[in-house]
Amino acid sequence: MDARSRIFTVSVLMLAVMFVVIPVANAYIDPGSGSFIFQAVVGGLLAAALVVKGFWRRLVSFFTKRRTADER
Amino acid sequence: MSEEDGGRGDAEPLPGSFRDPAGFVFRREGTLFRQVNEIHRPHYDRLMSSGLYEDLVGRGLLIPHAEVDGSPAVRQGASLVLRPEPLRFVSYPYEWSFSQLRDAALATLRIQEAALDHGMSLRDASAFNVQFHEGRPLLIDTLSFEELPEGRPWVAYRQFCQHFLAPLALMSYRDARLGRLSSVHLDGIPLDLAVGLLPKSARLRPGLQLHLFSHAKSQRRHASDAEPAAASRGKFSMQAFRGVLDSLRGSIEGLGLPEDVSVWEDYYGTAAHYAEEAMARKEELVRKFLAEIQPDSVWDLGANVGRFSKLATEGGAFTVAFDVDHACVDHAYRDAKTAGETKLLPLVLDLTNPSPAIGWSNAERATVAERGPADAVLALALVHHLAIANNVPLPAVADYLAALGRHLVIEFVPKDDQMVQVLLRNREDVFPHYTAERFTEALDSRFEIVHREPIADSGRVLFLGRRR
Repeated sequence: MDARSRIFTVSVLMLAVMFVVIPVANAYIDPGSGSFIFQAVVGGLLAAALVVKGFWRRLVSFFTKRRTADER
Repeated sequence: MSEEDGGRGDAEPLPGSFRDPAGFVFRREGTLFRQVNEIHRPHYDRLMSSGLYEDLVGRGLLIPHAEVDGSPAVRQGASLVLRPEPLRFVSYPYEWSFSQLRDAALATLRIQEAALDHGMSLRDASAFNVQFHEGRPLLIDTLSFEELPEGRPWVAYRQFCQHFLAPLALMSYRDARLGRLSSVHLDGIPLDLAVGLLPKSARLRPGLQLHLFSHAKSQRRHASDAEPAAASRGKFSMQAFRGVLDSLRGSIEGLGLPEDVSVWEDYYGTAAHYAEEAMARKEELVRKFLAEIQPDSVWDLGANVGRFSKLATEGGAFTVAFDVDHACVDHAYRDAKTAGETKLLPLVLDLTNPSPAIGWSNAERATVAERGPADAVLALALVHHLAIANNVPLPAVADYLAALGRHLVIEFVPKDDQMVQVLLRNREDVFPHYTAERFTEALDSRFEIVHREPIADSGRVLFLGRRR
């Protein structure tokens, strides 16, 4: 990663942190500040990944189903 | 102490059950109960009314329980007493093989996903909350669920990564023996330690890069934050929550063990040292002895891949197959899982340094002996490893085995046996007392010797002893 892309990544992450505000934990175990904030930051990314994955699965199953139907 | 100020009556809260204000487990007249405190009652009621309890119990992911009339162990703040279905044996994550820890991790994620479906969430993700019951991992802490606080990330994310993902990655990328690191770090492997030990190539896996490396970095960055990790409003969406869980699942499913066969795993495969005839005779004798004892529980020490443990489970006994070799234990677990075996629990244990009492005031996690005794202990092809490889005097071997079981099926392996000669090949024979006579004497001091049968063509002798 060169310096410019690193600055870009850090800025994006900082912006994300600014926009994600999370409610107080009230947990009996310590969720950990760094762990809590980290989840909030990557949550959006992983949510998007899950959507893409679901879409991909549907697409694959659509074509495999069609192929199976064609083969019959 | 009066009952009003929390008199404990005849109940003893278990020493490992003090962290959670929601409740705790206690034992009364030998039966295990779980007290639910008022503070947690709404969450417990939601577990039962939302359909989550039936869903999880139906899928074998949560221990079933009954609500009972019994009085609580501590009256103050008490709301309800539960009697969970009893477990046959409590094992700890540092005794599990890779596949066991991996299955426990995946079960935890499945439970959390089901909880989300019912508007609830796990408040903790400790590997100690998972136990193997009838061959499968399930959650034993009925009070781990809370109503899902809207918009909040998973409070147990850090704990999940430390208890499951970090040790699994270390076992997969470095060495399976690192599973025992969990006995040093009871709240899971600190992520900075895990990433320091993992090779750079682990970063190539996006899930590990994210949940271990970047996560550890974020922990470091915020370690000295004075503000709580929380402002006031805002949302962590349900989709984000599910995204995190799905990513964790993918990361764990992607981890495996390198395929190397250990010396011990191949023990019977190339068993030149053990003529098949002698092996058959030994099986026949073990089966006969077990039929005589009719044990309900058996501990097979040095079980290898569990060939003799199977004789015990076939006879109906719940059997724990202990071995020091990780590959053997993992093999035995995978075999048992495929076969749908419900009576076998393979565990990693170094008998020369058995699991100690650890945790707060050295009482949270019990020693192996404290979790017994078993009705019968099998110690086959084992005594030479203890007495010669580890220099333990024979009377001390008998003492410890008497602490573990009420009956003992033990094989004496004479000094001229090929396997003993291997152990002695590079060292001075400082074992003048390692003889059949001294062995019998040592055994006799602790056990009434019921049978003493030579194993044909091997020079070995099989004993059945009943503890004095």
